[in-house]
Amino acid sequence: MRGPGPSPRPSRVRARGATIAAFVALAPLLPAAAVAVGTLKVDTALPYVCTLPSGPRTATVRITADFPERAAAGEEIRPTDVITTVELPAAAVADLTVLEAATVRAETRLTVGVAQNGQQAEAAWRGTSPTLDVPAEGPLTLTTTGDVPILTTGGPGDLSLTAGSLGVDLAPSTADGAATVPASLSVTCVPAEEAEGRRVLATLPVGPGPTTGEPSASPTPSTAPSSALPSSPPSSLPSPPPSRPTGREPASGTSGASRSPAAGRTADSGPQAADDAAPGTEAARPPAPTCRNDEPTSKSLTAYITGYSNVRKLNGANVIPVSCTLIEQGDPEIVFLPDGIHLFQKSDAELSYEGRRQTPPFEATFLTFGFAPTTATLVLEQVGPMSVESDILLVFPDNIAETYIRAPLVLRVLDVRVNGTRLDVGPSCRTAKPLSSPEPDPAKYPGDHLVLLGKGQLLNGTDASGYVLTSGGPLTGEVTIPAFENCGTGGEDLDRLLTASISGPGNYVKQIQGQTCAVGVEVPTEGQCTEDRQPYVVPKPAR
Amino acid sequence: MKKPTRNVAVVAGAATAAFALAVSPASAVASTVWTVNPSPANFTAVNSGNVVLSVNGIAMTCTKSNGSGTMQSATGNPATVASISAIAFGASGAPCTSVLGNVTTVATTPWTVVAQDYTAATGVTKGYVGNVDAKVTVGACVFRVTGKASGTYTNSTGALAVNSLAGELTVVSSTNCGSAVPVGAKPTFKGTYLVKVAGSTTIPTIVGSNP
Repeated sequence: MRGPGPSPRPSRVRARGATIAAFVALAPLLPAAAVAVGTLKVDTALPYVCTLPSGPRTATVRITADFPERAAAGEEIRPTDVITTVELPAAAVADLTVLEAATVRAETRLTVGVAQNGQQAEAAWRGTSPTLDVPAEGPLTLTTTGDVPILTTGGPGDLSLTAGSLGVDLAPSTADGAATVPASLSVTCVPAEEAEGRRVLATLPVGPGPTTGEPSASPTPSTAPSSALPSSPPSSLPSPPPSRPTGREPASGTSGASRSPAAGRTADSGPQAADDAAPGTEAARPPAPTCRNDEPTSKSLTAYITGYSNVRKLNGANVIPVSCTLIEQGDPEIVFLPDGIHLFQKSDAELSYEGRRQTPPFEATFLTFGFAPTTATLVLEQVGPMSVESDILLVFPDNIAETYIRAPLVLRVLDVRVNGTRLDVGPSCRTAKPLSSPEPDPAKYPGDHLVLLGKGQLLNGTDASGYVLTSGGPLTGEVTIPAFENCGTGGEDLDRLLTASISGPGNYVKQIQGQTCAVGVEVPTEGQCTEDRQPYVVPKPAR
Repeated sequence: MKKPTRNVAVVAGAATAAFALAVSPASAVASTVWTVNPSPANFTAVNSGNVVLSVNGIAMTCTKSNGSGTMQSATGNPATVASISAIAFGASGAPCTSVLGNVTTVATTPWTVVAQDYTAATGVTKGYVGNVDAKVTVGACVFRVTGKASGTYTNSTGALAVNSLAGELTVVSSTNCGSAVPVGAKPTFKGTYLVKVAGSTTIPTIVGSNP
């Protein structure tokens, strides 16, 4: 048996000016059919040495993933179908059985070195396993799947991905479903010496970007935080990632990012309005999850929304991460009513995250019962039609707008840790009903749903302010979080714990919608869409 | 009960405008020689105060707008004394806005500046901006406006004050705008631009005469 020895992983070179960006947008599994053409399939099994409580042991780590066969500079490289399989030797099973573990769940974190043109960065590939029975004898095979950061490069050149160290967190449970003592086991694995020379998982040719051949020598450091989504902490990523937004920044020469959004201006050499050329009027676009409508109609809009949601019971506020909304804009119609001329516009909307009607997963940390630090991974899932209804009173020379957004959303709990100890909430832990808000017109809008109100106005020839339909703005509301159900596994009922901790009325919500991108119009307006017609504007949460 | 009042107010506005249109030609001796100084010259124009396009009571405000073109002396009445070769509405970081959202206007140029009437005592030329053609986008709503917009030019200030009369501009196509902006709607345009000879602080002048 070989000892752990020196770590053979590549030295962690700080990515100085590297053009590699490890975006933290999540890339969960896509249907295989979606990536069937031009796919580079990686399937590598490597010997590792894992440090177990009983000592260093060899293990076999198999990594499978799909990559695009090639990519262009600036284009997203999205690893899919990422599976990490760790075969721990029988001795590892003994380390678990000594804890009287009957089942075990695993989380893995594979460090992947990403290198291009001599520059290096690291990405963390995380995965989780289902609950497994601990075998009576023989090896223990853990198979994990999960979210993997998207990669982007700023310039051409072969991009190589190399397997590095692997962290395995084991959460064993006893036969009666209780956590063992200790409740978790962390194992660090490094590639064995025999793996040297075989650790390169894939080498992807990256061609020049689709626009101009901007040299990659002086990448613009991102002004944005390296993480947009708390569900995939960027701890192992170079910070800040020397990035440019994925495929959304044409490599235009002048005035930096201000030319980044897709140009909607006509080709004539007409003047731009005063101060148009002022530098720095638009900062680089922060990273955001993909928000594309690939089958748009002429009425299709896309927009990002993000903001805070208080949980009054816990004296805390969550950030609901930047989420994609697909909107089909309704026609604005003039209606004459006793109090004046109204403009009504009803649009349909839905959340969109990797093809599902939900927000990205997000973490919320609270002090449960005032003392126990609790971290929950949550998702808001849309369970019915979402409407966006504007009522604009046209009172010359003023226009006063009210927009109600109504969305049936359930709050789903993916993971809970109390005091660092994981509580297995199971796969179906969620609020028993959709979140609800005080509804100003319950007869017309029955059922439980979140109600957000945006107010906007345009007074006497001045600029519009507040929330306006296609340009966004603040939306506020108050929400009741219903009781939770189906939480807990193995006979443990966590419904009451979560209901007692989180559920309740009077939780203030403030969301900020960004400028929409009119996806289906002939020429998108400058500053509203990226080149591939995603929303250019990524809003920031505001209190 | 308020509905008739509101409608009356709208109609009254239109009636007033029509009245103004009817009166203006009667107030002056027609000039046939238009002396632009300097001529020919390139000019630039930058808005002074907000520029507002209104359709069916929906206001679209631009805090920034500018244009450029050429101007030259001319004869006849009406007479084209300037050509606007480019005009921009809104700017990066200062888009035109409305309660429907930010507004993008793309002009198809050239537009013209047509002189009709000159008052020597005030140095004010009355006329219109002609050949107006612009595509306006608000979200998924896209419409095209064509026509002309009445205005005045004041020699002492270089102010081109455009204040279109009802019916001068027409929506000739409209997509996804519903009854808010149907084809045939009559928008109005209001805004003042300060004109200078390009690259200078010189205010050009227009003088009409009837030799």
